[in-house]
Amino acid sequence: MTDEPLVRWGWIGSHLAYLRDLTLDHAVIALVPVLIALVIAVPLGLLCTRFPRLYQPVALVFNVVYALPGVAVFVVLIPYTGLATRTTVMIPLTCYALAVLVPATVDGLRAVPEALRQSATAMGYGPWRRLAAVELPAAVSYVVAGLRVAAVSSISLAAVGALIGRGGLGYLFIDGFQRTFPTPIVAGIVLVAALALVTDLALVLALRLLAPWAAHERRATRRQRGATQ
Amino acid sequence: MIRFEGAAKRHPDGTVAVEGLDLEVPAGRTTVLVGPSGCGKTTILRMVNRMVTPTAGRVLLDGADVAGLDAAKLRRGIGYVIQQAGLFPQRRVLDNIATVPYLLGWDRKRARARAAEMLELVGLPPETGRRYPFQLSGGQQQRVGVARALAADPPVLLMDEPFSAVDPVVRAGLQEELLRLQAELHKTVLFVTHDIDEAVRLGDQVVVLRDHGHIAQRADPHTLLTSPADQDVTAFLGPGRGLRGLGLVPATGVELDGLGRADGWELALDAEGRPTGWTGPDGQLQGPAPVFVPARDSLHAALDAAVLSPSGLAVAVDAETGRAVGTVSRAGILGALAAGAAAAGTSTGTSAGTAKVPGGRQP
Repeated sequence: MTDEPLVRWGWIGSHLAYLRDLTLDHAVIALVPVLIALVIAVPLGLLCTRFPRLYQPVALVFNVVYALPGVAVFVVLIPYTGLATRTTVMIPLTCYALAVLVPATVDGLRAVPEALRQSATAMGYGPWRRLAAVELPAAVSYVVAGLRVAAVSSISLAAVGALIGRGGLGYLFIDGFQRTFPTPIVAGIVLVAALALVTDLALVLALRLLAPWAAHERRATRRQRGATQ
Repeated sequence: MIRFEGAAKRHPDGTVAVEGLDLEVPAGRTTVLVGPSGCGKTTILRMVNRMVTPTAGRVLLDGADVAGLDAAKLRRGIGYVIQQAGLFPQRRVLDNIATVPYLLGWDRKRARARAAEMLELVGLPPETGRRYPFQLSGGQQQRVGVARALAADPPVLLMDEPFSAVDPVVRAGLQEELLRLQAELHKTVLFVTHDIDEAVRLGDQVVVLRDHGHIAQRADPHTLLTSPADQDVTAFLGPGRGLRGLGLVPATGVELDGLGRADGWELALDAEGRPTGWTGPDGQLQGPAPVFVPARDSLHAALDAAVLSPSGLAVAVDAETGRAVGTVSRAGILGALAAGAAAAGTSTGTSAGTAKVPGGRQP
């Protein structure tokens, strides 16, 4: 190991296509669960806001799930969804993302200023329509903040899938460890970090483009909180 | 017309917000509810659009009990403006204004065209329509709030301290704008404020409330200022009632003298006949000369000009040309007040005993 350099550029050069495929696979395994979680979390968050009693039990369930080690969940799932399948890895990742996104959505909806809610009601919005058309867009910066955390942590957690044969870039860590060959490990770390960075920047940019008002809203809310403290 | 019949609101915890209110809000006029915070004025306002349900009594809108109407439909027919404007942050100004038309199912083009009209009506330039609310000043946001409330042309307008959060100069502008709009649109306006000057300035009818929505006095502004019902109302009105009342009397009745001299002071005019100042006995020009517009201003403004004038004479000018049309002394203005009071005294029975003076300057 002492003679082995940290990075062998030759290996990287001869494995470019392989690294690209692993990165794409990793992106799918990590980010599709976040999208699925978003589709579930928004209605669930709306429901928990409309019926506040639901929120504590729902939050409790997702927190418990969040505490379960990924490997343990894989072992439980393998008989049903198969070894080395995307599904087996993506189910726990979806649950982890939900544990972040449901509270983010609920917090965002709860932070909607009372004046906005009142004026929407006074103009003749029913409770559901008001939640979906007025409050949810006003909460979008909170949801995107949750999405950023969920996406980055999902990219990191997806590597564990390599233990059951489907972990995208995570495979590079096992490979390098088994062969005491550091180059794939370093390449894996750099690519995971790069994927996380690109995803995060994409989300920030998307918020700027789709919701130009949101950055300002968050600043204003923070100012208000600062003033009342 | 809105009518409250024994309307009361008792909260589940036993506290009483409003205790049996009987009140008539006449159609096409502005009724202002004024009182200290916690007197139940906002609760009363919200009973009209069912954001608060009375625990006893009822609220009638054009003879129909609002409790029997569909809440969402009722609200789309009632304009509502609040202190923080409550604009939707995610919608551009034009789409904010078009909110109720959209809810009523108007097509996009028609709703937007209507919103553009409303933007003009409240005195905002067309390009404001493409902005987001956070890009506007507080005063502009309030104007958009008013435009949004008027967009579907509701006969009734509820306003809950709409101008309280802006600075005094902007507030005065917004008040003037509301008087101008109301002179044109004749909505049934129910306006809530804790500012008695605002109440007197805007109301055709002012309702002074004390705790639990009890009416201390209901009168037109002139009657309220000149004959408060009791000590509490007098205290609430504060000092200077008499002078403030001058702001309610139009200056049209002032008898003008010529443009002559007074005690050695001579009015200096430019080539167009507009006053530039007063020339004193020492030959020094002191300008500009304080002026008022008889057709638009109040006696308060006229007296103010006379008090500020070095010669003791206020100069009356034409609103359009700015030309001097005459002068009047302090005594002359007070003479007009005596005549005005006699005229007002004969019509105390009606709720609109005094004319609103949109341009009248007030303290």
